Amino acid sequence: MFNPFSLNEKTILITGASSGIGRQCAIACSNMGARIIAVARNTERLQETLSQLKGEGHSCYSIELSNCDDIKSLVAKIVNENGKLDGIICAAGIERTMPAKLLTPADYEEVFRINTVSAFELVSQATTVKYFNAGGSVVLISSITSLIARQGTAAYSASKGAMVSGARVLAAELSKRKIRVNCISPGTILTPLMQNFLDTLNEDDYKKRTSGFPLGLGKPEDVANASIYLLSDASRWVTGQNFVIDGGFTIQ
Amino acid sequence: MKDFIEKFAEAIEVEDVAALTAETKFHDLDEWSSLSVMLTIAFFDEEYDKQIGEKDIRESETIQDLYNIATA
Repeated sequence: MFNPFSLNEKTILITGASSGIGRQCAIACSNMGARIIAVARNTERLQETLSQLKGEGHSCYSIELSNCDDIKSLVAKIVNENGKLDGIICAAGIERTMPAKLLTPADYEEVFRINTVSAFELVSQATTVKYFNAGGSVVLISSITSLIARQGTAAYSASKGAMVSGARVLAAELSKRKIRVNCISPGTILTPLMQNFLDTLNEDDYKKRTSGFPLGLGKPEDVANASIYLLSDASRWVTGQNFVIDGGFTIQ
Repeated sequence: MKDFIEKFAEAIEVEDVAALTAETKFHDLDEWSSLSVMLTIAFFDEEYDKQIGEKDIRESETIQDLYNIATA
């Protein structure tokens, strides 16, 4: 059957694969035939992700991505044990929600190091000729806060916006080898972590936080399906873009 | 020389190493761009502890020319 979205024979490295969007991306990509290399901090939850994947040959690696100096050797080890990569999804990230007035330089640095710098370091180390097949694709999970203001997210939103502008440059530089780099900017996705957060809100705040989405709140699957498209050859002419998936939040 | 070509190819991100020879005019490679100049300068610095300039690269034509600078 003709399927332009097939990920057969592709090896995809996914960070943040132990929960939420990253985990769902791993599951979705395995359903499309990809071999998954799942990366995150928590070994136990990584194993849980592995157990939900379809097909054979998947593996997982536990690493603290905020130690950017370790990324180079991790990539070498992964490719050594699994062969060259065809795709990367960077879904690892943290949020630090508080008024800008209370954010310290250390908060900004930590959020940037994990959300942005580690992703760029991973992409730069992993997309070399030695480790990455020509024609491969990189997907960075950004956020609609790269485009709109949500109070209390100054550090997070700045780190996600940096991702979008940096991705355009990576896309331009890697285009020579037909490697594509795109961002996905999801609106509010009902991951377990988000659900926990929403549960802590009072009724008014809950309404405020969950309103404004013409199509309702999103599911991890909504982001995962977009990642399939961006990793597959169906999107071979798409690069440097920020794919907004927000149930219509930003159209009004 | 083979070793030099392999390392140079990796430095400037050339996929098809087998297509490169000492006579290859590297400025004409599809992969060559303005960024390749910086990658080449860094490659000389890291691998050969040699500080070369843009001018050296501009004046070099073939991979052999670069090799001569590296081993001079």
